[in-house]
Amino acid sequence: MNVRLAKVDDLMGMQACNLQNLPENYMMKFWMYHAMTWPQISFVAEDHKGRIVGYVLAKIDEPAEDDKTQEIHGHVNSISVLRSYRRLGLAKKLMLLSQEAMASIYKASYVSLHVRKSNKAAIALYRDTLGFEVAKVEKKYYGDGEDALSMRLALK
Amino acid sequence: MSKSLGKRVPLPSKEASLFKELLTLYETRQIKKGLKTADLILKKFPEHGETLCMKGLVLTHMKDRREEGLELVKKGVRLDLTSHICWHVFGLVQKADKNYEEALKSYTQALRFDKDNMNLLRDSAQLQTHLRLFDTLVDTRHTILILRPNQRQNWVGLAVAHRLAGHPEEARKVMEHYQRSLKNVPDYDIEHSETLLFYISILVELGEFSEALSVLDSNSRSRAIVDRTAILETRAHILTKQNAPEAEEAWRALIEHNADSYETYRGYFESLGILFNEPNPEAVTKLEEFAVQNPRATAPRRLQLNVASEEKFVELAKIYIERGLVKGVPSLFADVKSLYADATKRDAIERIAEDLREQYAPSSKASDIEPTTYLWTLYFLAQHYSSQSQPDKSLALLNIAIEHTPTLPELHLARARALKRAGDFIGAARAANEARLLDGQDRFLNTKCGKYLLRAGMTKEAETIFGLFTKKDALSPAADLEDMQSLLFLLESAAAYRVSGRPNMALKRYIAVKRAFDDFEDDQFDFHGYNLRKFTISIYLKLLKWEDQLRANPAYISAAIEASKIFVEVSDDPSIVTALTSNSQLTDAEKKAKKKAKKAASKVQEEKKAPAANDKELEPAPPKDEDPDGFKLLASTDALEQAANLLMPLKTLAPNNIDVWIAIYDVAIRRKKLLQAVGALNHAAALDPEYSELHVRLVDLKQRGM
Repeated sequence: MNVRLAKVDDLMGMQACNLQNLPENYMMKFWMYHAMTWPQISFVAEDHKGRIVGYVLAKIDEPAEDDKTQEIHGHVNSISVLRSYRRLGLAKKLMLLSQEAMASIYKASYVSLHVRKSNKAAIALYRDTLGFEVAKVEKKYYGDGEDALSMRLALK
Repeated sequence: MSKSLGKRVPLPSKEASLFKELLTLYETRQIKKGLKTADLILKKFPEHGETLCMKGLVLTHMKDRREEGLELVKKGVRLDLTSHICWHVFGLVQKADKNYEEALKSYTQALRFDKDNMNLLRDSAQLQTHLRLFDTLVDTRHTILILRPNQRQNWVGLAVAHRLAGHPEEARKVMEHYQRSLKNVPDYDIEHSETLLFYISILVELGEFSEALSVLDSNSRSRAIVDRTAILETRAHILTKQNAPEAEEAWRALIEHNADSYETYRGYFESLGILFNEPNPEAVTKLEEFAVQNPRATAPRRLQLNVASEEKFVELAKIYIERGLVKGVPSLFADVKSLYADATKRDAIERIAEDLREQYAPSSKASDIEPTTYLWTLYFLAQHYSSQSQPDKSLALLNIAIEHTPTLPELHLARARALKRAGDFIGAARAANEARLLDGQDRFLNTKCGKYLLRAGMTKEAETIFGLFTKKDALSPAADLEDMQSLLFLLESAAAYRVSGRPNMALKRYIAVKRAFDDFEDDQFDFHGYNLRKFTISIYLKLLKWEDQLRANPAYISAAIEASKIFVEVSDDPSIVTALTSNSQLTDAEKKAKKKAKKAASKVQEEKKAPAANDKELEPAPPKDEDPDGFKLLASTDALEQAANLLMPLKTLAPNNIDVWIAIYDVAIRRKKLLQAVGALNHAAALDPEYSELHVRLVDLKQRGM
């Protein structure tokens, strides 16, 4: 599969991929907002027909100026690979590209993400393949009342 | 009128300060207090135009008082035609209604009476960009820059305006002037970095390649440009345009950075003048080097298959397919299928896979083969035969595979697909459901199952299945999918309703697709200001380009054509509507059930509204569905006008789609627009004079005596 930076033309494909695959969905303006604000850190995988089969949608959190306790860091809002395109290591490739861009362009000190407590496959990917660690548990983070694990990976 | 044009009498100081307070209250969105304050002023000065406007503006933010507010704003404007506040408020209200043309007119009026008002100028610029009025946009941005030259974004704003208006040389001048005036750019400033990349893109557009390159190189050395990938890419593109030998090195660096991007390989080979779209041994060799250097990358190995031929292809394809099967890559078939355009490659792949099946079979002697490898081989071959219109072979293989491992959802999905291709939609839906049941947590399987149910015309069942993953507080699963702009669902659902004789619901779905595209178009509005503040210019210019092509998307084209067909059918035979509505006369039991559902739905509505009681919440709750069955829509008195509007953008965005022209003819001829109708048929004839639908229309034209 073709793995590359997400372009404006990909936004509809990313939205469709997300809707097909994940329970947390977003309207177009949300996807647009990320692309318009941080155009360098979201990536896609596409098949030979140009269909988006996987993506990572990321943002940068900059702490308020008076808050010295926080650092600039990246956050993965959504990452997904269509079930039929698994076992190609796409999620890992997408994540690594995004992390590299977060660190080199924005000097992000770490990257964070939320994952459903019950999503064992995703947790295994983040922890075992990508080296994330659980930073805390966020109670009832999801709309249906499920807890989220807040995971982190240092980029420095 | 003449009286109202007379000199405005200023408010006495008490009321004047109340008015100031009113402005602040509105700005901080304290709606109820604002209303009280406005009424205090109006008690003494009921004809005060500016206060009336402000009161109207406040009312437009209150539930069910929008119309009343609008009337007050209009009245206020009439009473004080020379007040910039009145016109500004009028513009704001029109803008909120997405009536951008009229809003811009009001802003222009307001500026006549307050020409240096920064808010007015900025909003006007935003409207002008949205309406693509680039010449006047340049004027507005120029005024803004002259008033506030110290704000960096105002320089960039003018340059962007020039660029959009098609004056790159002016844009360049502005950017150069801007850079000379710059002082104290902080180190590692992403905004400055993006601005420089924008400047370089202007130089490239002007064909000033060496200048562009030297600006790029010096600013990357000084780390003023911080986006390394963008640097590499811009370099590679410029060097290629210059036919410079360094281009190869630049593309190589990009491949090293990401060895899975097809575009990069394409750029690399183009820069070397090596053909990349046809058999080419040189490309095979180069790709081999990249594959060895980047063992984790799959792109070079896969791209080799595009450019290899004959024995070399067989050799490489065998390794590629074997590797995929051993790893159990479910997408392997989808991945190689694009090679099937070449029949010899297709046949070679079939032979390779069949050989491997024998080799991997449990009866064979090879002992180190994982049983799953055999399974994935069967899966691969089943998909292959299904794509080659051999459903029996495909299904037989899948049956063996499913017997071997009944719990792999992919096998059931492949079965569903083979059955669907063979025309057994009910069987396909059943198979997809079996896949879904094997992993109820997986939305992908759920979506597939819902889609297959729709293909089988089982709209109700499909909605139940989709509902397992849609938001529980939505009016219905369909409403949630519509809110989330699922074009896949809307189009599949529409087609299902169309086939099952419910054009009302089909039309409702197609119009929902149209609305999604209207929203996509509208979504850009805020970014006209936002991206300038963020200095993310390059991506913003791409957004504008994308928006201008938006409705060339196949989902829109299909919805527009199908909806217009339904509109045409109803206009030819309005009895369709009455027949459908009387058919939908319900039995008592059904009526009861419907009533219950309605009650539940309105409860959901109430709950949604609850937080809006907060004074600061300005957004009115989403209106409930006034036309749940689409009958009102189907009975539209302006059906043909709606159809014409749907098709309008396609004249320029999809001029090579013959069905677009046929649909345009069907609508135009009924609207008695003879010239348009004949023109559409001429376009169609130019695309394909033998097209059967075209001949039907030519006969139709004659029969209408034209």
